[in-house]
Amino acid sequence: MGATGLSLIAFLIGHVSGNLLIFAGEHAFNAYGHALISNPMIYVAEAGLLLLFVSHFVTGIVLTKENRDARPIGYQRNDRAGGASRKSLASTTMILSGLVLLAFVPLHVNAFKFGAFYESAAEPGVRDLRRLVIETFSAPAYTAGYVIVLAIIGFHLWHGFGSAFESLGVGYSKALKRFGQALALIITVAFISIPLVIYLSEGAL
Amino acid sequence: MNEISVKLRVWRQASADAEGKLQDYKVENVVPDMSFLEMLDVLNEGLARRGEDVIAFDSDCREGICGCCSLTINGVPHGRGTGKTTCQLYMRDFADGETITVEPFRAKAFPVVKDLVVDRSAFDGIMAAGGYVSVNTGAAPDGNQIAIGKDIADKAFDAAACIGCGACVAACKNAAAFLFVGAKVTQLALLPQGHPERERRVIRMVDTMEEAGFGNCTNEAECEAVCPKEISTAHITKLNREYARALLKLS
Repeated sequence: MGATGLSLIAFLIGHVSGNLLIFAGEHAFNAYGHALISNPMIYVAEAGLLLLFVSHFVTGIVLTKENRDARPIGYQRNDRAGGASRKSLASTTMILSGLVLLAFVPLHVNAFKFGAFYESAAEPGVRDLRRLVIETFSAPAYTAGYVIVLAIIGFHLWHGFGSAFESLGVGYSKALKRFGQALALIITVAFISIPLVIYLSEGAL
Repeated sequence: MNEISVKLRVWRQASADAEGKLQDYKVENVVPDMSFLEMLDVLNEGLARRGEDVIAFDSDCREGICGCCSLTINGVPHGRGTGKTTCQLYMRDFADGETITVEPFRAKAFPVVKDLVVDRSAFDGIMAAGGYVSVNTGAAPDGNQIAIGKDIADKAFDAAACIGCGACVAACKNAAAFLFVGAKVTQLALLPQGHPERERRVIRMVDTMEEAGFGNCTNEAECEAVCPKEISTAHITKLNREYARALLKLS
């Protein structure tokens, strides 16, 4: 879980950095998209990403099942121990936040990668992905749903980042945990800023 | 000192296969300086006098070193507070008239034998799989023949403080035994006496742990919070490191 999780976080950082190019104007964003899809290595990268994603959620589901089976009869009263405990709402709901993301990712890929193909007016042959993004986020219901799911990603990373370092045998430190939480917050805010700006500026950007 | 009275909700289960349930009891004339187990002794004496079945619970040394006592009190193994076993919990920590829920340690690998007594021999199985060092018999080795630095000795001792009570498993939402196994593996991995079997040990102990039906660690440190010896989750990270190292070395 740790290795695949951290790899997926690295992907998310790349993903959101690319997304933010939308604020740099039509050319920058569409040229970036074009550079990605016109590179033949994109298929290798996509296959690798798919493998990471699938192994992350399959392992997660299998381990969660094992963990539930490990205590068939639960406590009538179950309090948090406090003190050294790092148990949080985020840490106890990893499977739920994970399942939301599992449902979201196919919809998300379908909405953009396999969404409407607009050709750029300025640059023929180049996909005008920016137009699709702006159109998609002009719908309030879609935008609201997207913001909620992205907040859940942040929530998943809130526990996931620090926990991965423990699972991989690197260790726990308060600084690393705080860094992970800050990273989760930055990634979420960066992703959410795009639909919010589009929606609030009514597509003017 | 003013005596108090408490209401208990105690898990009663006649045998391993029987259905269990919480049963209410009232204990009067509790001296606040009584230990929690002494309060249960008083309750049991009353039950015995009335010819009722006494509440079964584990205890032995009653000074926090044997790892025998194993109650989940108000939803926390060994009760609230740090660095203590159930036998080191005192009635002065409870309010007059308080309702206290008492349950056994819960895990698939720790089946209930009767009432509050659970079978923790799964831990013995893990120890038998690798929690030992092999020594040649013969004359006793010279003292200080193997020099061990104070810093290493201290770290090994921190791990060796584990009394194997199972509170880590009981507190973990996944009933994972990583803190227990981590402490045992770390202790022997740090000391030269443990080095000949270092790789086999961690693989065998982890395999046995999984076969026994314990869950997996999700790094939430509830175990450290309830550990009577305050063993740090750094031992879990060390266990993960030792396991990866062994896989690399043995492959």
